Amino acid sequence: MSERRERSLPLGEAAAGDTPVELVSEFAAVSLVVDRDGNGPRLRIEDLKTGQVGFLDPLELETLAWLPEGALHRFLDPSFHRWREERERG
Amino acid sequence: MTPTTVPADSAAWDALIEPDRVHGSLYTDPAIFDAEMERIWYRTWVYVGHESEVPQPNDYVVKSIGPQPIIMSRDKQGEIHLLLNRCTHRANLVCDAAKGNSSAFRCPYHGWTFSNTGKLLGYPFNSGYGGTEEKRNLGLGRVARVASYQGFVFGSFAEEGPTLEEHLGGATDAFDRLVELSPTGKLDISAGWLQHEAKANWKMLVENETDGYHPQFVHASIFSVAKSGIGDLYGEKSTAVSRDLGGGHTENDLRPEFRRIDEPMGWFGTTADRLPEYVEHLQAARGPERAREIMIDGAPHVMVYPNLFIAEIQLFVIQPLAVDRTVQHVTAIQYEGEPQLNRRMLQQTIGSVGPAGLLLADDTEMYERNQRGVHARTPEWLVLKRGTHRERRDGDGFTIGDATDEVPQRAIWRHYRELMEAGDGDGAVAPPAVPTANGSVR
Ligand code: FES
Ligand SMILES: [Fe+2]
Repeated sequence: MSERRERSLPLGEAAAGDTPVELVSEFAAVSLVVDRDGNGPRLRIEDLKTGQVGFLDPLELETLAWLPEGALHRFLDPSFHRWREERERG
Repeated sequence: MTPTTVPADSAAWDALIEPDRVHGSLYTDPAIFDAEMERIWYRTWVYVGHESEVPQPNDYVVKSIGPQPIIMSRDKQGEIHLLLNRCTHRANLVCDAAKGNSSAFRCPYHGWTFSNTGKLLGYPFNSGYGGTEEKRNLGLGRVARVASYQGFVFGSFAEEGPTLEEHLGGATDAFDRLVELSPTGKLDISAGWLQHEAKANWKMLVENETDGYHPQFVHASIFSVAKSGIGDLYGEKSTAVSRDLGGGHTENDLRPEFRRIDEPMGWFGTTADRLPEYVEHLQAARGPERAREIMIDGAPHVMVYPNLFIAEIQLFVIQPLAVDRTVQHVTAIQYEGEPQLNRRMLQQTIGSVGPAGLLLADDTEMYERNQRGVHARTPEWLVLKRGTHRERRDGDGFTIGDATDEVPQRAIWRHYRELMEAGDGDGAVAPPAVPTANGSVR
């Protein structure tokens, strides 16, 4: 998976008090932890099925809290990004 | 039983259903079962779930309407949807977990993704479909009408027909009584569901739920072990009544006995002093006098046709899967904010219908023996005559009989015949006639 980003910090070395939390449904399984490697804290999200990691900073998270109904729909479309023909790898 | 075909006219139905006898083939004929699904289960209002099972935005639970797999979801705005749990691609079940929280559902087979309102949001590798136009027509199937009464959510596959309240008719009172027992007026159906499968036709279960003739025989062992007085409520001397509520809904009304005994919480097999918190809350909510009446009358014992049995402390949901296969889903009723009462309700439920429970196992044994017996070549009929000579009307105009009479079973079959005779037509079924004497029935 060429897109996979490297973990910035092994989970075991997360700062004290920043215990990873796993959220699992029948559709997805993610691990959440606060990452403090940068100049400010951010949320580190790991897709437990693939190892894919993403980050969300406080402003991005605040924006999510204010999302209107349906705003995530285009991102939930599997063809939006993750499962597209032009992104298929051998 | 000789196989039949589905009767085409009233005269042919006469050969299968009489006012006090029914033909055994109605329990064994797959063609009859298929017609029942179309004319009863996929047309009238059928109970699906309770609003408290999806308390938060984006909660969902997996439910059923007979053999149809249903997702009951609450969207972000709070509205409840009944969707068919069937992917519009190649028919996989979209949701598998019994419950969860998700704004969208992703089919495990090829990843088609739907919002929890049923809209198709997309599928992987969409250029394979030459554009996205068709998405609009590929949302999840929906149950045509959704409505709720006192938090109980029903669905109807018919676009048109009686409203839910018209359908419930005389049975609305059972829901009103049930929620009045809750100090907040709300139930909390979150104890989880047990599932019991019976190799029997669904109608045997429906008929048994308000059969006051069998408890003294079938349940004699649990009554004696538990030193329960319930058996006496269904005796020859009992002042309890069996009632036809119209629309196939039936009741064993035990209130006359509870009022005679005059013991608050006696209906629950206990006394008020053992539930001080609940009593205090109920008195505060309803006033001491009304609270006492409520605690004496207790919870209803009502079979809401065709699939919801309100059994005092439990809810049963009947799910037919085949002519000789039925699943009974059962949960303990819990009252919002009443842990003291709820604990006892759960204990009693586990004792009667849990995996090692004594009550439901007895009934299920009867269902399965009945299903085997009804295949005998002769006699061909089941007899439902008990108490025909002493049927009478109550103050509300409902037909009633003694506690052990077969008033409910006759009422169920009368309604069944109406629904089945209406044929496959356009889906419009007249609402059940509700007596209006004294104007006391809504
Ligand atoms: S069957 Fe659901 S995505 Fe193919
Ligand atoms: Fe029983």
